[in-house]
Amino acid sequence: MRMIDMHMHVKGAGVEWGWDHNDRIIEAADALGIEQIAVSIPVVRGMSTHDRVRECNDAVIDAMRQYEGRILGWCYVIPGQKQSLQEIDRCLDAGMIGIKLYNQYKIWDPAVHPVLEKAIDAGVPVLEHAGHATTRIFQDEQPNISDAADFVMAAHLYPECMLIEAHIGGGGDWEWSIKQLREAPSVYLDTSGSIIDERMIDMCVSELGAKRLLFGTDMTMEGGVGKVLAANLTKAQREMIFYRNWEAIVARRRRT
Amino acid sequence: MLIDINTWIGAWPFRHLEEATVSGLLKRMDRKGIDRAIVAHTGAALYRDPHPANVDLARQIGKHTDRLLPVATLLPQNPGWQEDLRRCHQDLGFVGLRLYPQYHEYRLTDEPALDLIDAAHDCGFVIQVPQRVEDRRTRHPWDVARDLSGGEIIEALRARPKVKWMLLNALGLAAEDLPKEANFLVDISRMTAVLQRNMQRLLDVAGNDKLAFGTGMVFKVADPALLKLEVLDRGKRVREAIAWRNAAKMLGLKVR
Repeated sequence: MRMIDMHMHVKGAGVEWGWDHNDRIIEAADALGIEQIAVSIPVVRGMSTHDRVRECNDAVIDAMRQYEGRILGWCYVIPGQKQSLQEIDRCLDAGMIGIKLYNQYKIWDPAVHPVLEKAIDAGVPVLEHAGHATTRIFQDEQPNISDAADFVMAAHLYPECMLIEAHIGGGGDWEWSIKQLREAPSVYLDTSGSIIDERMIDMCVSELGAKRLLFGTDMTMEGGVGKVLAANLTKAQREMIFYRNWEAIVARRRRT
Repeated sequence: MLIDINTWIGAWPFRHLEEATVSGLLKRMDRKGIDRAIVAHTGAALYRDPHPANVDLARQIGKHTDRLLPVATLLPQNPGWQEDLRRCHQDLGFVGLRLYPQYHEYRLTDEPALDLIDAAHDCGFVIQVPQRVEDRRTRHPWDVARDLSGGEIIEALRARPKVKWMLLNALGLAAEDLPKEANFLVDISRMTAVLQRNMQRLLDVAGNDKLAFGTGMVFKVADPALLKLEVLDRGKRVREAIAWRNAAKMLGLKVR
């Protein structure tokens, strides 16, 4: 079955994730039968300069060129920076497929609105790092991380935006998140993250529907594939999650 | 042949586990082609006196001792653990202990813990130690147990190198720091055969006899661990060693 991993990362711009060379991504994808991998290099702690953001995106563009046809790129920006909209234009022109946000702002924050409006205009998705903390430590580590309730708020503001809540398997209490997302039918959810709990993917499908799920690994590659294979799904549902939903999203891109 | 060294049955107070019974576990094993499994009772991790959970586990397993190998949990600080250990060994058919220092507030190298470990070792038992039960990001606020540090585990291995250790749900143990003289297996449930390739790292540094197949059922799905065995870029002998030979050897099982 075809698979497109829509949530991954590459090393570059001095950022290390735990592998020695990006060739390991392609080798892993080959071993697991993954056709394409959409990657980003976000700044994961605190704010950063626009120059640093640009460096990260340049490294993604380099990877897209080096592994043409296999690596797709997400344009990472920090909302509120005056250059962020131009950076999105630059990255989309370079062939990137969407916008990646991390934990600098809640997704409904007014600072993010211009980015969401840009995404609507361009017809591209917005993937935002997310999680619902169950402990004080987790909350304190990432005070502005968006959870599913934040996505519900953003979806009510911008129902036409293709919002993707990242990593149901890496974002804390997945039962809470899935139930909360029932209230925002326009929001997609990606399956990535290192949590491979029983019932998790099944509950995503039963509560949200397979049409809202997107396959991703976020660096847990065997786990990412394995948990979708393990879920009690029809072939059509599995195809939707592994690649069809993603292809439908990418097809909505507006070219100017 | 597959031997899973990392399974549980029983309820978990913080998350619903579906069909977390012996029959439920056997059904999962049948579906995934897993021949035998080491199993513990979740209640033993949390009861003040874990022994009733051990007794219940033995009762539930009943005639399925051809496939399920029970491990007991005892508390070194509880009075009478010696008699409970004798019963587990002589009357109830247990093959080892699964210890949770993080839930029972001791360290593996505390003197009472070492006394229990030594006594169990004298019975021929394996000693299983989960580095964690659930990912801390998903934990219920009342589940405040820490992840065991690599240092604490290594200290215990150094203190008792002849003990038959099985390290479960483990990640982040630096292969170079694991004592060469120690007799241990690490289960593959949180390790990777692609991308980070920490399975290969452990094989190369510690040897082919240090990894064993483990899934984490019924908390986790089995497919990721099965995929790791499938995509591991090592020969048949190494894959077989991980799949069952290493576990069978440590358990003293005669397998055709």
